[in-house]
Amino acid sequence: MKKIICLFFVFAALAFISASAPVYAASPDNIPVENLDSSHSSSEAHPLPTPYMVIPFIVLLLMIASGPVLYHHFWDKFYPLISIVLGLITAAYYFIILHDPSAVLHSVVEYLSFIALLSSLFVASGGILIKVDKKATPVINVLFFLFGAVISNVIGTTGASMLLIRPFIKINKGRIKPYHIIFFIFVVSNTGGALTPIGDPPLFLGFLRGVPFFWVIQHVWYIWIPTILMILLIFYLIDSRNKSGETSSEEYSGRIEFRGIKNVIFLLIIVISVFIDPGVMSWVPSLHPFPLGIREIIMFSMVYIAYKFADQSILKSNEFDFGPIKEVAYLFVGIFLTMIPALQLIAYESKVLHDHLNATTFYWATGTLSSFLDNAPTYLNFLSAAMGKFGLDVNSMANVKEFVIHDEIYLQAISVAAVFFGACTYIGNGPNFMVKSISERSGIQMPSFFAYMYKYSLPVLIPVYFIIWLIFFNA
Amino acid sequence: MKTLDDVLKNKIHGIYYGKRILLPFAANFLKIVVEDDVISDFSDSTESGVIIEEKENFTNIYFLEYKKINEAVGKFKGIKILLAEKDKDIFDFANHRKLVLYLREEHVVEIEELDKEIIFID
Repeated sequence: MKKIICLFFVFAALAFISASAPVYAASPDNIPVENLDSSHSSSEAHPLPTPYMVIPFIVLLLMIASGPVLYHHFWDKFYPLISIVLGLITAAYYFIILHDPSAVLHSVVEYLSFIALLSSLFVASGGILIKVDKKATPVINVLFFLFGAVISNVIGTTGASMLLIRPFIKINKGRIKPYHIIFFIFVVSNTGGALTPIGDPPLFLGFLRGVPFFWVIQHVWYIWIPTILMILLIFYLIDSRNKSGETSSEEYSGRIEFRGIKNVIFLLIIVISVFIDPGVMSWVPSLHPFPLGIREIIMFSMVYIAYKFADQSILKSNEFDFGPIKEVAYLFVGIFLTMIPALQLIAYESKVLHDHLNATTFYWATGTLSSFLDNAPTYLNFLSAAMGKFGLDVNSMANVKEFVIHDEIYLQAISVAAVFFGACTYIGNGPNFMVKSISERSGIQMPSFFAYMYKYSLPVLIPVYFIIWLIFFNA
Repeated sequence: MKTLDDVLKNKIHGIYYGKRILLPFAANFLKIVVEDDVISDFSDSTESGVIIEEKENFTNIYFLEYKKINEAVGKFKGIKILLAEKDKDIFDFANHRKLVLYLREEHVVEIEELDKEIIFID
């Protein structure tokens, strides 16, 4: 009860500040016209931060990378505090120095939306048990990944990851190695979800801005197929050399059992609720200045309902625990706040330089930044810059529709890169960290932040993405 | 000292206090997974964060990195252990047993054979 009262006061305070924030944002005294930023999806103006304010973000990234390896127990104990303190430094800078609370509040709203989706999918899928009594082989694993890649476009990369990671580990019992999990992250948690706006948040953001729902699948499928096939081919070659568990005499019935139908319904409600947004359905009321929308309220309600009504034996079999989502929630509160200056500076630079940007720069710049930053605002910044080349405004739905018809290569490059490159680091996309955490709790020793990059994403993904660039975007 | 089979069959509980768990049997421990810590170093060195101490009628496990070990687990998530019973051949994989310890209220440690649905990569 105390927690609920505290939450109420926090939201009330946010609503109050949010209601008064536009006064600051609209103040002409402190906003140079040339320093406009579109990273926060509105036409409000924001003063530019000093580049030094990127330091808290870099510190947080470095600590996420080094903490679990070099000072594991200190990190385990203090990462929530470190993440929050670094986030608060940035927030204080915006409140006190820049007098621009709106940038922080936008970030808080985006964070709440992000964590509502992730936590609801996490809890709902935790009450579903898929038993596959079959021994994994490289071919079965490839088919499993293909299924995961397709389904991630229906229930999102987060939903698909949470639903499939446990059965994937189970069928590979006796032969599982860290690379299995890494390729799962590559395919199911990231690249797979590039075909629909439900698949990954940046595409959904594009959909809200006016990109037609089926535009993505129509213009990305022929890039998606070779990408997935190349990654799966590499996986197949590696997995074929894995001879572990071949001598096992365990017998398998080949049966696939599915339990937790109630939670499947909850999962569907969450997926449908993604569309309950005033930008998609005009009858949906906006609750502004309250920091949550109807959609987030439904999602947070689903967290409670899905947990309350889940089958206890399934929760036990899945070892359900709020630990992984708590870890994501704490780390991303810091990431969302500390990355505000980085995103604003990128937005500014991309507006200044938009005449010099081509499909190549959009592809690599969106990709590189999506590996480390939140890919949703990165997508929006580069979409804004690409539209700026033609004098179009990202805040106008009609302009977005016009842009989509005439200049598809830019949007293709931005869409593909924002989704694909999220697989390059553990922090590139929300489900990456949760898959890592669930795997570690199952006894699998996962590579560190840097080892993930130099052992897997650099040698596997970057060559694949390079080929994709060469074929489709090297204009 | 009770055998592991006695403990499981008769549902005999262990107990915990702070960072210490007391188990009513003796065993050769091979692996312990608590949260995302996968521990297999049970030498006297305290670097692994776990000390195992065999007493006449029970076994002490100290989780040095945790102030309260019960805070590291949840209602559905226990501490997973891979072990071989004291008088069994540790080199025979058939003797390796997987257990899960659920830390309940009143300092009670429920000891269960790991359900085959729970993933524990050994």
